[in-house]
Amino acid sequence: MKLRFTSIALLASSMMLAFSASAASSDQGIVVYNAQHENLVKSWVDGFTKDTGIKVTLRNGGDSELGNQLVQEGNASPADVFLTENSPAMVLVDNAKLFAPLNASTLAQVEPQYRPEHGRWTGIAARSTVFVYNPAKLSEAQLPKSLLDLAKPEWKGRWAASPSGADFQAIVSALLELKGEEATREWLKAMKTNFTAYKGNSTVMKTVNAGQIDSGVIYHYYPFVDGAKTGENSKNVKLHYFKHQDPGAFVSTSGAGVLASSKHPQQAQEFVQWITGKQGQEILRTHNAFEYAVGVGAASNSKLVPLNDLEAPKVEPSKLNSKKVVELMTEAGLL
Amino acid sequence: MSNISINAAPVLPSGSVARRYQQRPGLWMVVSAVLLSLLALLPLGFVIGVAIDTGWQTVKTLVFRPRVGELLLNTLLLVIFTLPTCALLGVALAWLTERTRLQGRRIWSILAIAPLAVPAFVQSYAWISLVPGMHGLGAGVFISVIAYFPFIYLPVSAVLRRLDPGIEDVATSLGKRPLAVFFRVILPQLKLAIWGGSLLIALHLLAEYGLYAMIRFDTFTTAIFDQFQSTFNGPAANMLAGVLVLCCLGLLVVEAASRGRARYARVGSGSARSQNPYPLSPAIGLLCQLLPITLTALASGVPFITLARWLYLGGFAVWDNSDLWPAVRQTLTLAASGAVIITLCAIPMAWLSVRYPARLYRVLEGCNYVTSSLPGIVVALALVTITIHSFRPIYQTEMTLLLAYLLMFMPRALINLRAGIAQAPVELENVARSLGRTPFQALCSTTLRLAAPGAAAGAALVFLAITNELTATLLLAPNGTRTLATGFWALTSEIDYVAAAPYALIMVLLSLPLTWLLYSQSKRTAGL
Amino acid sequence: MSTLELHDIGKSYNGVTVLEGVNLRVAAGSRTAIVGPSGSGKTTLLRIIAGFEVPDRGQVRLQGKPLADNGVWVPAHQRGIGFVPQDGALFPHFSVAGNIGFGLSGSKREKQHHIDRLMDMVALDRRLANLWPHELSGGQQQRVALARALSQQPKLMLLDEPFSALDTGLRAATRKAVAELLAEAKVASILVTHDQAEALSFADQVAVMRNGHLAQVGQPQELYLRPVDEPTATFLGETLVLSAYLDQGWADCVLGRIAVDDRLRSGQARIMLRPEQIQIGLSPQPAQRQAVVTHIDFAGFVSTLSLLMADSHETVEIKTISREGIRVGSNVSLSILGQAHIFAD
Repeated sequence: MKLRFTSIALLASSMMLAFSASAASSDQGIVVYNAQHENLVKSWVDGFTKDTGIKVTLRNGGDSELGNQLVQEGNASPADVFLTENSPAMVLVDNAKLFAPLNASTLAQVEPQYRPEHGRWTGIAARSTVFVYNPAKLSEAQLPKSLLDLAKPEWKGRWAASPSGADFQAIVSALLELKGEEATREWLKAMKTNFTAYKGNSTVMKTVNAGQIDSGVIYHYYPFVDGAKTGENSKNVKLHYFKHQDPGAFVSTSGAGVLASSKHPQQAQEFVQWITGKQGQEILRTHNAFEYAVGVGAASNSKLVPLNDLEAPKVEPSKLNSKKVVELMTEAGLL
Repeated sequence: MSNISINAAPVLPSGSVARRYQQRPGLWMVVSAVLLSLLALLPLGFVIGVAIDTGWQTVKTLVFRPRVGELLLNTLLLVIFTLPTCALLGVALAWLTERTRLQGRRIWSILAIAPLAVPAFVQSYAWISLVPGMHGLGAGVFISVIAYFPFIYLPVSAVLRRLDPGIEDVATSLGKRPLAVFFRVILPQLKLAIWGGSLLIALHLLAEYGLYAMIRFDTFTTAIFDQFQSTFNGPAANMLAGVLVLCCLGLLVVEAASRGRARYARVGSGSARSQNPYPLSPAIGLLCQLLPITLTALASGVPFITLARWLYLGGFAVWDNSDLWPAVRQTLTLAASGAVIITLCAIPMAWLSVRYPARLYRVLEGCNYVTSSLPGIVVALALVTITIHSFRPIYQTEMTLLLAYLLMFMPRALINLRAGIAQAPVELENVARSLGRTPFQALCSTTLRLAAPGAAAGAALVFLAITNELTATLLLAPNGTRTLATGFWALTSEIDYVAAAPYALIMVLLSLPLTWLLYSQSKRTAGL
Repeated sequence: MSTLELHDIGKSYNGVTVLEGVNLRVAAGSRTAIVGPSGSGKTTLLRIIAGFEVPDRGQVRLQGKPLADNGVWVPAHQRGIGFVPQDGALFPHFSVAGNIGFGLSGSKREKQHHIDRLMDMVALDRRLANLWPHELSGGQQQRVALARALSQQPKLMLLDEPFSALDTGLRAATRKAVAELLAEAKVASILVTHDQAEALSFADQVAVMRNGHLAQVGQPQELYLRPVDEPTATFLGETLVLSAYLDQGWADCVLGRIAVDDRLRSGQARIMLRPEQIQIGLSPQPAQRQAVVTHIDFAGFVSTLSLLMADSHETVEIKTISREGIRVGSNVSLSILGQAHIFAD
């Protein structure tokens, strides 16, 4: 009995060691903590690996989840690169002093308003907040003039959002930056009464499309992405851009940064350089991702409303505070 | 999934066996059992530790707020409406299939547990595809009932099958009409089975994430998840986990206390006579067919039809998905290695509790059971924090994931292994030795052979559980690991139902043989 | 008027005949034992009387009222027949008082009064009332089952091997107590058993059942001394069965010439002697039959002797009370008490 158990125990522990070893043995290539949409990043990774031969392992998750995880992991994190959909998570990680400065050549490729001065991270794509609605339920005249209108009592039960997602939390962080804590707190309280929660912007769009709710606050690219597939979740929706520097016209920057603790700093820098370079930004235009390109001289997909026409409010991406947003949302009972 | 098989130790004469063993069990065996049980207490310790760390003020603000009250209310309502409905349906269906001459009752008894092959979140996915507007408490209760009623059906039908008809005869001879006999004599004997099944369902209701997330019904687990996505493992997430743990412990206490002192098994020697099934008149028989037909259609029919529809729409293209087959491979690897490792780890505890019954070992065993009652998300949260802060080398490796599975699923292996070892009393080994075998040979030819089916059943249950596990895997999977469940979840989050269908189908197919195992196992044991 | 009448009861399962042509009468206040080997159909008959099974043919009448007849069927819960199954079948989820009071109705006080009375009747200590069935001994459980069945004041009590689960030492005492109890309560009862000693001692009327028929019904002594055929004889106790030639009240067999109980029969037949009818004497008496002991099988109270008869030179095996002087090779003499019984053809 003893002999047999010992031998089995040895077998089991060697299996376990093999497992942990296998995780670490992906030593060639880089680990990217990715919060961006998978299909977009996949196209980037495929192109990058084809060009340079460097393998990329993705860990997928949400902005804040991965951001907080990086903060918790600290210097021992296995991550080399962090990609996000919005900027607050980049700020979070940067405040924990975890990013390494990016190569000057990388920074030179991105338009200045889409990257912070300090150069420890950069924008890689952008998306605009948008009001999606079902024209059968809302006429043009009834459309809200500002994001703040949605707090008014007449909008009770008529709009939806995905508060647990980092996307919406980024929009709230812009609101916080533009209008201050008190106004944001009030707006969130009214939101709790008026809105319906869904999980994910796609679900919001689908529900508006089905006519189950009048409208929603999401990002611009969802209807376009769906339209490029079967279109069954976006046939009946229309987009309304708030413009006029309203908080609802907020353009969120997706970010990329290289971790200071990275074991492959050079390959990591190469990756960020590639996606902000011509080929990476070209993918934004051609690959049905429908997000805005932020490279110098890069054109976005022709179907989209040009960035300059959006009249987005000026928000310094490095000032967005996700921690405070989560606090306020928890206080309002949204989380 | 379920601890249905056998929940109580086989009845051993406590004093005599212990006295018969003058020698003590091997030291390393005791040590490993103690270590594993202490390990099992990690999540509990974690929750308490974090609460202490965060400070009473913050705990107060995070726990005593309207949102938590909202979640508590939702959870309470869910449990209050789901449990009685499941009990009613489970008992009614069990009665029809075990004690009447219902047409096709053997087929119905198999179909009654078919929903166990469909993971709860796939059930939800199927219904959302059919009725997109489904949401809230009503939808939550409905889907929970059809997904979980087999947990009551299985033990109740096992007990009904073995009830002593002599007792019912006596009750009849004492002047009680058949209906009175059912309520005063038969139903009380089902109490333990119903109670055990209800506890299991309640714990699942508390722990389930995917089902409720898809229909937008907020429970503690969905809220913890949301917090996790926003703050990774900030204090709010841990506090919610703490409240959830309290609810689970509360359920365990309530169930244990309400068992009462009465015995529920047959009293007296001799074996039970075989039962006489009640005949049903053709009209009533037809009416009674409605119950199994409806339940099967809702619980098995809808998922299979929806899956078929999505697969048809997707055509062959979805099967060409470059992520699908790696996910299958990884799921199978994880499940297989998990099953083997966890069953092996259960050996010391099972061996000790059968061969050397003593209070200490019962307490150790109890630790394992308590932890397995905790939701996967609590275990995962605990492990994430502990490994990040104290055990870096295994952070984000398969080992942590397997550790989580160990904490969550060991009791399944433990229970079955214990039943298996109990089949092989030590006398058999002694007889083998008297017939000329060495102690090791005797062990192999008797105990291991007899215990093997029990061990296999335990391993199979663990395999099944790991294949369908979503929550802990979402939190703990190493970089690049994608199981069928997490892949399915990622796709449905993007509303890509068509691409998600192959994942769901494979998960169901993997679960079918093991569901069959559960069925045949319940036919052999009383399930009490 | 008899309490119970069974006319021509027949029952088959799946084409196999279990009971056929069963006729029985149970007088009021009497005790009847139905005895037979396992599988002879005794329990089925009991269940038909109780109303748990429907007979294929025949009638069951209780105090003149038909319970089962061609068109009539009274369900079990309306028959008022007490039923005590093999191992008591106590309700495990009720206490002793709960079990006994299960069939009672009325206020709590009335019920308690009845329960106390019943517990006294079966000689159960009243303090046991709040215990659970699994906390009682086998004998106590049996008494609770009895009290429970008596609570309905039944006209007829059915007992299905109620003593088989008890320890041997307890069996006789319990049997006696139950018999007295039933006599006192003036309840007619039917006991089903495979133990012939139990049947013979308990009952006023014994019915031997074999292969679904009642081979013989009558008083215990009658059945014992004059069984109708060989299987019945061997079932009811130890016998010595011999082939013999009959002639005018005498039989010639290996034991010599023996008186028989029928002067009119003649020719070849099988005759029966009970062991207590054969006396073995050590001192040789020339007038009696002589034999030599060839083998002794000692079993305490009773020994089986193999005797070589001097006259016929044949060996017979005889069971007798052990005596110290008898050894292998001893010369012994046999004397026959009473008459041998002739089996009907």
